[in-house]
Amino acid sequence: MSEVILSGIQKAFGDNLIVKGVDLQIRSGEFLVMLGPSGCGKTTLLRLIAGLEQIDEGELRINGRRMNEVPPRDRDVAMVFQSYALYPHMTVRENMAFGLTLRKMDKAEIARRVQEAAQLLELSDLLDRKPKQLSGGQRQRVAMGRAIVRQPSIFLFDEPLSNLDTALRVQMRGELARLHRRLKATMIYVTHDQVEAMTLATRVAVFNGGLLQQCGEPLELYHRPANRFVGGFLGSPSMNFVAASRTGATLSGQGFSLPAPADLDAEVRGDLLLGLRPQDLRIAPDGVFRGEVEAVERLGFDGFAFIRTEAGSIAARFDKGVDVKVGDRVAVAPVGDAVHVFTADGTKALRHPSLPSAPTTVEMAS
Amino acid sequence: MLVAFSGPAFAADERPAPLRLWHAYRGGEEEALEQSARLFTQQTGIEVQLLGVPYDAFSSKLQSAIPHGVGPDVFIFNHERLRSFRQMGIVAGTDDFITPGDYLPNALAALRLEGRTWGYPLSLKNLALYVNRDLVPKAPRTTQEWEQQLTRLSNGKDRFGLAYESGDFYLHAPFLFGFGGALFDPDTGRAQFDTGPMARSLAFVKGLQDRHYIPSEASGALVKSLFNDGKAAMVISGPWFAGEIDTMRIRYAVAPLPVVSETGLPMRPFLGVEAAYVSPNSKQPEQAQALARFLSVGDAALLRVKLGRQIPANVAAYETEQVRGDPLVASFRETAQHAMPMPNTLEMSRVWEPMKLALRGVLQGGVSPGEAGLLAERRYRALNRERPPDASPWPWIAGGVLLVVGAVVWAVRRPRPKQSFQKRYPDTVRALAYLAPAAAGILVLVVVPLAIGIGLSVFHYEGGQYTFVGSANFVDIVASRGYRITEPLSFYFTLAVTVLWATVNVSLHVSIGLALALLLKDPLLRFRGVYRVLLIVPWAVPNYITAMMWKGMFHRQFGAVNALLDALGIEPVSWFTHWSTAFAANVATNTWLGFPFMMVVALGALQSIPHDLYEAAEVDGASKWTQFRRITLPLLRPALLPAVILGTVWTFNMFNVIYIVSGGEPGGATDILVSDAYRWAFERNQQYGFAAAYSVLIFLVLLGYSAFTRRLTRASEEVYA
Amino acid sequence: MSATASTRTRPLWRTLAIHLALIVTCLVTLYPVLWVVKLAVSPAEQMSASANPLPDLQAIDACAAASPHSAWPRLSCALRHFAEVTTTTTSQGTWLFGRQLLNSLVVSTVSTLIGLVLAVTAAYALSRFRFPGKQLGMQSLLVTQMFPGTLMLVSLYAILERLRLLDTLTGLVLVYATTSLPFCVWMLKGYFDTIPRELEEAATMDGASSLQTFVRVVLPLARPALAVTALFSFLNAWNEYILAATLLNDEASFTLPVALKRYMGEYTVEWGKFGAGALIVSVPVMALFFALQKHLVGGLTAGGVKG
Repeated sequence: MSEVILSGIQKAFGDNLIVKGVDLQIRSGEFLVMLGPSGCGKTTLLRLIAGLEQIDEGELRINGRRMNEVPPRDRDVAMVFQSYALYPHMTVRENMAFGLTLRKMDKAEIARRVQEAAQLLELSDLLDRKPKQLSGGQRQRVAMGRAIVRQPSIFLFDEPLSNLDTALRVQMRGELARLHRRLKATMIYVTHDQVEAMTLATRVAVFNGGLLQQCGEPLELYHRPANRFVGGFLGSPSMNFVAASRTGATLSGQGFSLPAPADLDAEVRGDLLLGLRPQDLRIAPDGVFRGEVEAVERLGFDGFAFIRTEAGSIAARFDKGVDVKVGDRVAVAPVGDAVHVFTADGTKALRHPSLPSAPTTVEMAS
Repeated sequence: MLVAFSGPAFAADERPAPLRLWHAYRGGEEEALEQSARLFTQQTGIEVQLLGVPYDAFSSKLQSAIPHGVGPDVFIFNHERLRSFRQMGIVAGTDDFITPGDYLPNALAALRLEGRTWGYPLSLKNLALYVNRDLVPKAPRTTQEWEQQLTRLSNGKDRFGLAYESGDFYLHAPFLFGFGGALFDPDTGRAQFDTGPMARSLAFVKGLQDRHYIPSEASGALVKSLFNDGKAAMVISGPWFAGEIDTMRIRYAVAPLPVVSETGLPMRPFLGVEAAYVSPNSKQPEQAQALARFLSVGDAALLRVKLGRQIPANVAAYETEQVRGDPLVASFRETAQHAMPMPNTLEMSRVWEPMKLALRGVLQGGVSPGEAGLLAERRYRALNRERPPDASPWPWIAGGVLLVVGAVVWAVRRPRPKQSFQKRYPDTVRALAYLAPAAAGILVLVVVPLAIGIGLSVFHYEGGQYTFVGSANFVDIVASRGYRITEPLSFYFTLAVTVLWATVNVSLHVSIGLALALLLKDPLLRFRGVYRVLLIVPWAVPNYITAMMWKGMFHRQFGAVNALLDALGIEPVSWFTHWSTAFAANVATNTWLGFPFMMVVALGALQSIPHDLYEAAEVDGASKWTQFRRITLPLLRPALLPAVILGTVWTFNMFNVIYIVSGGEPGGATDILVSDAYRWAFERNQQYGFAAAYSVLIFLVLLGYSAFTRRLTRASEEVYA
Repeated sequence: MSATASTRTRPLWRTLAIHLALIVTCLVTLYPVLWVVKLAVSPAEQMSASANPLPDLQAIDACAAASPHSAWPRLSCALRHFAEVTTTTTSQGTWLFGRQLLNSLVVSTVSTLIGLVLAVTAAYALSRFRFPGKQLGMQSLLVTQMFPGTLMLVSLYAILERLRLLDTLTGLVLVYATTSLPFCVWMLKGYFDTIPRELEEAATMDGASSLQTFVRVVLPLARPALAVTALFSFLNAWNEYILAATLLNDEASFTLPVALKRYMGEYTVEWGKFGAGALIVSVPVMALFFALQKHLVGGLTAGGVKG
């Protein structure tokens, strides 16, 4: 049992309100990824949970116990830093054992734990080296080892993979997932990389501007974004947004019109915002959005075309067989009823394409 | 009072505490004193603790220690300072203990003041003529005779008929008196310089020098070596010189100074009396008096003759076989009878600096003997400030109170920040714990003395008394009262010299340091480590040693610099007679001592510049010079700037180099603000208040400078932004 | 390494020119030092005019010839001044030089230690904590460096007298420790600023208290700066003369510079003894410099912590 509950958390630096009141419940054993652009307050939130910063307003509970005033060492949490923060003057072994020595743990027990963690992370041969003598990936693993030996009930990760190259990142992602399965501890993971979020998370919490935008399982967020921000932040290329208004059974905007999805609430009318994932668009001669191709990205198996239309620039996926060139005039259309509908200001989703998916819980920030 | 490491000072309780005896003797004189003290202990059972103090720290040490009750019981000093000692209350009367008949009358007279006697005369110091008996069979009686002999004995090159420290007024005084001069106006008692005899005596000496009868700028060392090498036939010096003569090589005799033919007056030297003084704060006054008296008579006097080659003031000593058979003592005793007791007045102490200026001005050229008096007169007036009128402290106190009230009001009425104090400064308590020890130390031993120093600047100090004078000290300095702003004593002149000094030095430090760092930066350079180690040597040498070392190197006769010039066929330079060469000597010293610091800083900074920047520049086709200008310099700035600022502040206050190397020569023109402030405080009648005002102004100048550089620093930080 | 490339491409004449420039500078730098060595080993007490900075062997030979009874006549002649300087005794017969050397060592070491402890904590607080008056504190530290030190002598004396610390090495230690504090604090603060905060946060997360973090993580990392700062305050204390001469009233508690200063009399300078004394005083400092010179570059310019 190591459940973390944040209620109404606020934090300001000077006059700058960074975290503007966050409510979030992190379940025991969960791998929760906090995702958002830089400056969205996610790292600050992590540091508040760690106890590195003082909470201004609100309450933090871990396992039901109020933690606001509890010093970091008594919170039973371990943290892996973005820069790894390995102590340069200590060997790998000393780095990993440091926290345990401070707790005056029995020497044999320390040695056992360090050994175990080193094995788990394949660091056994490097124990007597200094951090300077290690590669980036090795340092990263030492940083994790330092957290693991503590056997905390909660792990905190602050963008731990952002300093690695792509190949290593993929590998470390795998190791992290393995680690989570093995340790079954609660893990809270901050990143701005949506791939990490999608591949690692049990649930993802998306932040923007100091506010929680949505929290849910990765695919749920992808398919049922609660607002324009979440829709746009997840998925690559980003979701296309076009302004439209509903008149009767049609949604029309600058230079296009398409039938309103059947399940769109009849109450919804007037100005709206449509969200169209590039993957849900196909090039078709009878497409509703017409325009000239501005750029083409071919990825081998498929590709994306960026089309300038009257409604704005729209990205659309095409299959490898299709021949699209810059300068072509093409038309694209949504596949089926794959249209997300948001309020005109983008703050709230009104309709998602119907997809076979798990039951949804859409949480909304104020 | 001796708390730590006091050695065997703690004797058993029943024995009296040891008497403390301070002196600045060296060599034989010190030995004689030590033996006398031992004799005293044997006879009385009272221990004596001797302390030899470096002479240049002696008087300031006495002045600080005795009023605080931690000084000596007895100390030895010449009688010239008696009046200022008396004013400070650091000497006790001796009339109840002394037997006047024990001493030569003129020696005793020198220690009388306000109708009382203030010490025990130990020995006489005056000047006489030493002659090399092989070269000068018969000592000259008149200056006419003398000049004839000198012509014969000098060769115009490296042989001189006479050698003496001609730049010292103490040695020039006999000439002045011989030409009928009087140092003090008989009516007012004020020192006078612009007189006919003064001009004539100066012209006479200048004539001796121009005809190469005497070496120019002779130091004690030169005089000694010339005489011992037989290259100077005669020497004017005191009894202490006898100990320096190499009697294996030189047979000598001592004769009175000749009579000036022009006036028929004898060349009367000053008579100095060395005395044992008793501290009024001695805890054992009777024992202290006994010790002081013991040192001045009997066996102690004889020891002084034997070991110290001093001329005793004790009458009985002259009755003994030992002294009677001593030709040196006999001759000096004889010359002492004509000697002019040096006045123990304050006025006397004011004469030295102006006279030194005049004397050196004439001898080193640039000032004619006729003008020199006026020059000295002006310097005298500048140095001896009239005491400013007392001011009422109330406006100042009121101003201070107003300031405090204003500050409080401002603090209270300041708009409150939104967040609570606790939130804005979460670490206050912890910070306090970390800072408290350092803050306490700095407060007590740095801030308080500094505040006292600043406070002193509104007082005038004279004769142990501080009087409040308000801003008078500042006004005098800023208005450059008493001298033109282009004269060495004016604040503006000194400020200009100081600014030039700091600028030249720091630019040299930076450019040399940077150049060396650029040469050393290549990690593959062979012997790089060796070079680096050798080049930081100057940094490791204590800077007063460096200064002494360079002072020796620039010595007119023995200095290595002149020897080098000589080897290159260049005329040796007399470094401290012209402003430009004296300044250059100071700069050379300070450059030597300061470049390694900049080199190390620059080396570190260079290593932190990423190498790919240079590669990028190379690809862009930038030349080495362009790379240096466009990459190295701008990126060095952030690291170098703090070092430059710190270096400037250090150089600005670099007292040791100026004070030791050029000593402000010529005529205080190379003094910088700190050394000038020091002189006002310790060498010009203890004008502490005036010196403090000086310091406050220095402080303000530097404060302005740092405010200016803070903006620079901020600008340079943007290089990386 | 690209430096390799540039060395390889550098023409021979440039390498030679660089060496030449460095050798000339080294010679100029060492010249005065050699000169002092020469003063120290010349049997005569006085200087003699010569541009040659090497010891005058003829004079030593002459001296040796004059003293045939000595076992090592040349050596004892050359070391005469050293012997004179190091064998001074008090009137009670205690070995004065040894005592003064010990004083100097004790005063310098202890004041360095105290100064370092005070400076290190203060600098850390100034670097890391948020509290009111921080900027003001930093500025005033710098400002204290601008007031000419000699003028503080009179008041310092009175204060130490009040504290009953006059004429004690303890008093001297305190004065040295505090007067070098502002500079030490500035240096160390600059270095602490370059140590990434994350290391301390990592330690906090590992369960270290504020003090443990400081002692076990920050201090070991600041070693280069500590070394350099220690060197500076040691130098400051080891070389100081005016305060020591004014505050100490007992020959046995004098420090070496005061003793050395006694060789420069009012009328004459005992150059030979001065030279020997100067070498004896400078050698320990030089040794320290050489031992620490590796750190000097990094410690001064806050190279920061990498990896």
